[in-house]
Amino acid sequence: MMNGALGKMLCLKNDIIFKQAFSLLRVRTSGENPISSAGGILLSTSRHYKTRPIHGIGRYKHLVKPKEPKKKRAKVEVRPINLGADYEYGVLNIHLTAYNMAVVESYAQYAHNLCNHLSIKVEKSYSMPTKTMEVLRLQDQGSKMLPDSVLTTHERVVQISGLSATFAEIFLEIIQSNLPEGVRLSVKEHTEEDFKGRFKTQPELEELLAKLN
Amino acid sequence: MAAPIRQSLFGVAKGRWRFEGLWAGSLGSRSLALAAAPSISGSPWRLLGAVCLQRPPLVSKPLTPLQEEMAALLQQIEVERSLYSDHELRALDEAQQLAKKKADLYDEEGDEQNVLLTQDMEDAWEQKFLQFKPGARITEADKKNDRTSLHRKLDRNLVLLVKEKLGDQDVWMLPQAEWQPGETLRGTAERTLATLSENNLEAKFLGNAPCGHYKFKFPQAMRTESSLGAKIFFFKALLVTGDFSQPRKKGQRVWVCKEELGDYLRPKYLAQVRRFLLDL
Repeated sequence: MMNGALGKMLCLKNDIIFKQAFSLLRVRTSGENPISSAGGILLSTSRHYKTRPIHGIGRYKHLVKPKEPKKKRAKVEVRPINLGADYEYGVLNIHLTAYNMAVVESYAQYAHNLCNHLSIKVEKSYSMPTKTMEVLRLQDQGSKMLPDSVLTTHERVVQISGLSATFAEIFLEIIQSNLPEGVRLSVKEHTEEDFKGRFKTQPELEELLAKLN
Repeated sequence: MAAPIRQSLFGVAKGRWRFEGLWAGSLGSRSLALAAAPSISGSPWRLLGAVCLQRPPLVSKPLTPLQEEMAALLQQIEVERSLYSDHELRALDEAQQLAKKKADLYDEEGDEQNVLLTQDMEDAWEQKFLQFKPGARITEADKKNDRTSLHRKLDRNLVLLVKEKLGDQDVWMLPQAEWQPGETLRGTAERTLATLSENNLEAKFLGNAPCGHYKFKFPQAMRTESSLGAKIFFFKALLVTGDFSQPRKKGQRVWVCKEELGDYLRPKYLAQVRRFLLDL
């Protein structure tokens, strides 16, 4: 008796579930046909994967940070950040100049590696165009100038940022004491003129600008 | 009903007391400040600023035997892998032309292409090189071991040491001066340099932060309530130019490299000083 009653209840339950399922299906089928006939993006009845538990298993695009498109001439005009008592320098340029290219390049490499090792952020490491100087010597007998030698000056720049004032002292001392022979060191703050000095002069652009003004 | 009123009264009273307490505290501190203007309020330590004046090396260190061998090897590799320079190409061309002339026994072009042959140029350069004499690495002062001159040990850092009287003892130390309120410690260090007798030293301070410190307590006899001891803060400076104009008295000032510091300084002082001296 009890079993029968239970069984009936279960059957009733099953009926209800089936009825709900049927109603859902009916909704789906009735709702989809006009949409699919209109050529919509919604799924057709043959695709069931949205109901499967593995739906969206390979999704990762929502986890990756969107990359901003890099501007061609990104300006880095960071003013020196003052953190109360502790000061931090903005962007600093370390200029290394010498007549001997191999020495200057290897020292620029050393400076770059040193910054990496001391976790100082290196923005970029570039070279300025070489300047050629011809040395003319006055002839012993006479006033004619004879070409004596040709000197090429090479310059390498390592640009760093985020140097704290307390550490700057030690860093400067390390770099100064490790300078090889013939290399001149100069540490300056990065300015607009430094940035613009790397570009070639464009006479046509200047002419057009002059015409405009 | 009574209880909460009592509590609120109590709370108010407490608040008032705290407020009065704060008032009194601020007033008290103000008065303390007024009274304690010449000395540091409360702290029993005297502050001194000292300058560690370094003369940077003028000449690079000589290479070790290993470095010499390596340098020679790399130079040889570079020469063997390199291409001919303009000068060498010209020399080869001229050698070929001379050989042709001798073979043909008549001038093809009339006069010589260039007035100066590469061989002549090389001879002239050789002559100039022989005339050039590089400066001596080991100077006279090194040979005499004269520690008061700046010209010795051209490849090392030299630090300035000064002899001063502390109490009744003569002590070697880095030049120092007492801190005066209202000035930064770096200002104290700069003042030390300026007040050192008869000099035209020009130094460059690399930063505002001290590089080391030393703390010591006065001997029991000298201790008072307000001065328990002294704290010395060291500042690093690099010598740009200048030197002492006259040796005032022998044995007062000395330029010393890192190893020789041990001859002069007390052990604990030396240990602290050594920590910030960079010797490469």
